[in-house]
Amino acid sequence: MISNTDRFFLTDAVHKSVKALEKKGISQVEAFYTNSHATEVSIRNSEILTQNQVYDAGVGFRVVVTGGKVGFASTNVLNEKAILEAGEKAFAIAKVSSEVPNFALPKGGQPPEIRGLFDSRVAEITAEEAIDVAERAMKAAEGFDKRVIAKDGLILFQSGWRGVVNTLGVDFEEPETRAVIYLSASGKQNGEVTGSCSDFLFSREADVKPEIVGESVGKKVVELFKPQPIKSFQGTVVFSPQAVSYQLAHVLIDALKGDTVISGRSAWTGKLGEMVASEKLTVTDNALLEKGFASRGFDDEGCSSQKTILIKKGILESNLHNATSAKALATKNTGNASRSSGGFNIVRMIIGNGYRAKPDIYPSNLVIQSGNNTKEDLISKISKGVLVESMAGFPQAGSGIISAQLSRAFYIKNEEIQFPIKGGMVSGVAFAWFKRISGVGSDAKQFQNAIVPSVMIEELKIVGP
Amino acid sequence: MVQLRGQNRVITTCTVKNGVVEDFSSISLSGIGVRTFIDGKSWGFSSTNKLDFKSTEQALDNSFKLAKASSQLKKQRIVLEQVKGKTIDLFSPVKKPPHSFCTEDIVNIPLEAYKGAKEAGSRVADIKATYVSIEDKKHFLDTEGARIHQTTTRVLLFINIIAKSNGLLCPISENVGHTGGLELFDKVSPYSLGKKAAENASRLLNAKAPPSGRFNVVIHPTLCATLLHEAIGHPLEADLAMAGGGFGDHIDELVSSKLVTIYDDGTTPYGLGYFPYDDEGVECNRTILIENGLLRSFMHDKTSAALSNVSPTGNAHAWDYSVEPLIRQTNIGLQAGDYSMEELVEDVKEGLFLEGTFGGQANINADFTFGFQRSKWIRRGSLAEEMRGANVAGNAIKVFKTIDAVGKMSVLRPGACGKYQSAIQGRIVPAVRCKILVGGTGD
Repeated sequence: MISNTDRFFLTDAVHKSVKALEKKGISQVEAFYTNSHATEVSIRNSEILTQNQVYDAGVGFRVVVTGGKVGFASTNVLNEKAILEAGEKAFAIAKVSSEVPNFALPKGGQPPEIRGLFDSRVAEITAEEAIDVAERAMKAAEGFDKRVIAKDGLILFQSGWRGVVNTLGVDFEEPETRAVIYLSASGKQNGEVTGSCSDFLFSREADVKPEIVGESVGKKVVELFKPQPIKSFQGTVVFSPQAVSYQLAHVLIDALKGDTVISGRSAWTGKLGEMVASEKLTVTDNALLEKGFASRGFDDEGCSSQKTILIKKGILESNLHNATSAKALATKNTGNASRSSGGFNIVRMIIGNGYRAKPDIYPSNLVIQSGNNTKEDLISKISKGVLVESMAGFPQAGSGIISAQLSRAFYIKNEEIQFPIKGGMVSGVAFAWFKRISGVGSDAKQFQNAIVPSVMIEELKIVGP
Repeated sequence: MVQLRGQNRVITTCTVKNGVVEDFSSISLSGIGVRTFIDGKSWGFSSTNKLDFKSTEQALDNSFKLAKASSQLKKQRIVLEQVKGKTIDLFSPVKKPPHSFCTEDIVNIPLEAYKGAKEAGSRVADIKATYVSIEDKKHFLDTEGARIHQTTTRVLLFINIIAKSNGLLCPISENVGHTGGLELFDKVSPYSLGKKAAENASRLLNAKAPPSGRFNVVIHPTLCATLLHEAIGHPLEADLAMAGGGFGDHIDELVSSKLVTIYDDGTTPYGLGYFPYDDEGVECNRTILIENGLLRSFMHDKTSAALSNVSPTGNAHAWDYSVEPLIRQTNIGLQAGDYSMEELVEDVKEGLFLEGTFGGQANINADFTFGFQRSKWIRRGSLAEEMRGANVAGNAIKVFKTIDAVGKMSVLRPGACGKYQSAIQGRIVPAVRCKILVGGTGD
């Protein structure tokens, strides 16, 4: 648990530094600070491997000098002198930087209060309780069938505070808690080892149900025995929420970001108001959802949160914006500044998230609107195709090329699942796929930054091994 | 047993996007991580960035309590190999330390890359170049008496280009990096690197998509680096191997083509994975993993080594003080063979030449996938028309058995990995020829 002394010290020191920098005649100063405590338990090979507790706090300053020159510096050294020095370093950097066109910070507002972001029981969780959650998840998976072996897992309970202050009137703090269960298992029978199958749970609350995750993983493993290779063909593919949340969502998010649109890196540059996908596809960004894993009252530069319709029945309605991209395109800021953006960025990997980084643009909860069909309903419409539960391989943002290995997929013939597929890939251009969406499931699931259901797409290329 | 790691890290980044210095950042991080091993079977770990004595004591106390909390549940006893405590003070060689350069000098590095890329013509739609330096001071001490101080500097440059024409987008990336200072750019010019990447991206706009199916392929070192790391490197990490995947307990068995010798070496000069000592205080020398196709060793930390009854290999590495060490590659290498690039291509009747990486992933059962940036048809032993990128997939054990030729020129490449936590590593690789499944979008 984070003590009030630690919390108030940081808040106070950050505010003092911002005031001190303001006195130096700097036009705009922003400080983003966090304070977090995490208890983690990791699982390897049917055992608790280790348990960790991590305390982390720090602050990142953005300082803007005349003409929109910006500097950033951050520190986790927790004393007033080091914090002020980080602010001064950002100032020194800003003076020698070049002008960032249309740079803007949000003005102060009245952020909405989102319910269910903080559960004090998460903050108070003990190591024993976290270990118990891990044990229960493992037991549920391995108890489902004796051929199942829990390979890998992570239980995380995190609590903390996030604050932003700037010289334009932003001064907000928000507490939040997170509980995550991740479990992966594979199966073994007669020398055959299945690929690993995983499931996740992302919650704001302490009373997670590890049994649900464990059983789900166990069931997935058992379904994967005796896979068969298939020949290459073109057919209908149902992507399960897990597959959608990864490769498909990545391409979608990248094309929707205001900064990729401005630089022309987005395939949907200049396409607002145009049909970019099938009318079955409606996508929103919704930071206001009660208990939403990525919900928040304000974004990571202090803009009040909102719900934004991005794609409505296939028509591109809006992009994701922070203050700068919104100003550049003379449109409304959608509150999507994020200092913990996902995706595959090595530089981000090196720097880290939160106070260590300047904000990027990223969704809060990216929601694909659910349909009325269960996954079984969707499958019952397919004469020849594949159900892709999960796939591996990075999608290519920009071009939208997905060529992914089928890590958990099933062959469908005559409206029924026939067998799990061995080897094989699915390949194509996701922007063309979005136009051929023929059905959306009712089985939406919460992931870190997305709430997505199954999606059915026509005429996809399946590559046999 | 208690291991204590303290660290000061300064990261400097500078991004030039389309000619504008979009970002210049300085990130200072300090903290300690304490790891406690008790009852001969259980580890606990706690970290904090509060550096007063009381907080350090608190972290030690937490790590002990955490170890205790799961001790009763642990089934396996672990007899850790005693490593004689040493006092060592190591500095990685740096000719031009980043902290001694002014902001303008740093800005010039990505700016030059931008200028080079700009030369490639009007179809280059977006140019982003990012300079990163990481200056680390690491301190390791344990109850066996080790006092190891390592000061390391790493410098990297990433270039990302998008070329665009008639709604078609083509991304290309290039990167360089080493353990050392800004002397990196005396050897590799950011300008030429930017220019080359942008020329590739522009040219590929006219190229077709590659086909799909199983092909004979020649894999260029830039892509072989990813093949080596993802496909065979991960299954050779003891924690993943013990999870029952891939190489399991096949020590001294033939697991790969006889042309294949693979090693991991934390002492390779300039390699991004230059770590003379790991984060458990173990020396990280050259470990032969596969020798002429025979599986010789896995990469180990103290725990996996104890469980396998071998000595640790110095592969316990933590991204920073805040996280626990786990088994990672340092500089993984594939020993060079006898073939020139022409000879590798010459024997292929019909196949593909694959180049440049987009990164990849590996599964516990040795299944892997990774992307290539561009390709060429090989017809009747000659390189033919150029094509764009896609992903390849396969199972490492099966694919490495199909290697029938290894190139004679090895290159040192930078790499990164996201196994549970971040890592930057080196790869020493020649070109190879094998059979692989290509997931191209073309006909």
